[in-house]
Amino acid sequence: MTDDRTTLATLSEQLADAVATAGAALVAVHARPRLPSTGVHWKDGVVVTTEATVRRDDDIEVTLPDGRRIPATLAGRDRGTDLAVLRIAPGSLPVAQLGDPVTLRPGHLVLALARLDEGGPRAAFGAVSATGGKWRCWKGGEIDHWLQSDLDIYPGFGGGPLVDAAGRIHGVNSGGLSRALATTIPVGTVNRVMAQLLERGYVARGWIGAAMQPVQLDPTTRQRVKRDGGLLLLSLEPDAPATRAGLLIGDIVVAIDGQSVDGFDQLLDVLGGGDVVGKKLKLEVVRAGQPVSVDVVIGERPRRGR
Amino acid sequence: MDMSGTFLSGPAERLRASVVGIANGRRGRRAAGGAGIAWSGDLFVTSAHVATASHATIVTPDGRAVPGEVVRRDAERDIAVIRAPGAAVAAAVTGDPYALRSGSLVFAVGHPFGVRDAVSVGVLQAVSRLPRGYGLNGKGALVWVQADVRLAPGNSGGPVADAQGRVIGVAAMVVSGVALAVPVPDVERCLSGLT
Repeated sequence: MTDDRTTLATLSEQLADAVATAGAALVAVHARPRLPSTGVHWKDGVVVTTEATVRRDDDIEVTLPDGRRIPATLAGRDRGTDLAVLRIAPGSLPVAQLGDPVTLRPGHLVLALARLDEGGPRAAFGAVSATGGKWRCWKGGEIDHWLQSDLDIYPGFGGGPLVDAAGRIHGVNSGGLSRALATTIPVGTVNRVMAQLLERGYVARGWIGAAMQPVQLDPTTRQRVKRDGGLLLLSLEPDAPATRAGLLIGDIVVAIDGQSVDGFDQLLDVLGGGDVVGKKLKLEVVRAGQPVSVDVVIGERPRRGR
Repeated sequence: MDMSGTFLSGPAERLRASVVGIANGRRGRRAAGGAGIAWSGDLFVTSAHVATASHATIVTPDGRAVPGEVVRRDAERDIAVIRAPGAAVAAAVTGDPYALRSGSLVFAVGHPFGVRDAVSVGVLQAVSRLPRGYGLNGKGALVWVQADVRLAPGNSGGPVADAQGRVIGVAAMVVSGVALAVPVPDVERCLSGLT
């Protein structure tokens, strides 16, 4: 047998081993018409999948690797990060072996896995194509780490894991976060969102209840307050944190906790971070041309009825 | 181990020597409409939707056009068998798709969009019926080799092979993005009595 044959056969066996290892912790999630999606048994009794594939709140079932179909209850969902969390009976199947997504580099071989029925796990094969830092997806949620691959997310593969060549799970694949590209919600984000969903059924996001627009300051004011621009308050919601703090329409927020503000990003970063509700923000405000200091206690963004 | 130097080149090269082009009619155009596999002796296997006439022309890897006769056609299983005496193409080695696990490397050889003997690579998904929810107009009861590998028009009738170049299926179609191939045991059934 020549070298290339044994090398390839070895790689092929390794990939199949990785699929078997990670596949042991996968379930098929029946929470929408026709096609099931995939769920990862993230910790004992807890299954993570993508929010977009959970189309109903009740009568959810999962198919285990041994073919048994058992009931699951929805613990919560978060549209912002496209994650949903289900509870199942503990001890039903092995728990996922998690990896550290930060160790994945462009070019690393990876697999996307799915379980769609009582048959074995299904696999798609590719490579990591790009990685990076924190980002905010178009659905609004903050994702801790940018992880993109050239994998095809076939029907039913949504909610399934991104798996490395050793069978470790690095996150949950979402077909809906970024069109045409396979995007993975990394382990850290899943852990953070899962903890909140298990605790209270939703993810609390910071909110101050004000509509604003970025503006530049006029030269005189610029010189007086030593800031270039800020966010002009256009409207205030009644009984919102901004109103309670005494902010007025026409105020320009020029700094948050001492950091200059020139667009929405700084504020959204502050409000979108984990566990911010109840924290105090020190705002530097320009009111009628004069600097004023205002403290705002971050509230919880009201949840619209679904 | 030098992965980039050896990746698939050996098995792919060996398999390409057994892949032919198929054109319909006794004097088919030289351009290959689909692919075929040298199976044994002077028998070639392709898709029934590629070999639609009573005669077909085999285009060998070294470029010869050899007339052949369609001796068997199973439209339901989408397999056709062509006898082309004198084609003298080395037969492909076959393997058992049921012995492969999900995630095993597979590759396909064909003529996608007319590109001769193009190789695409991926992994096996399953050898089973299609999952519920994957549409296939009544053919859902058939067992398919299902793979994450790029197929295009012109791959039809060509091989899907394992990492060692053993043919495990005959490329048939793409459903919901998944490459479907006829499992080798089903192909052998279509050939029974001919070899």
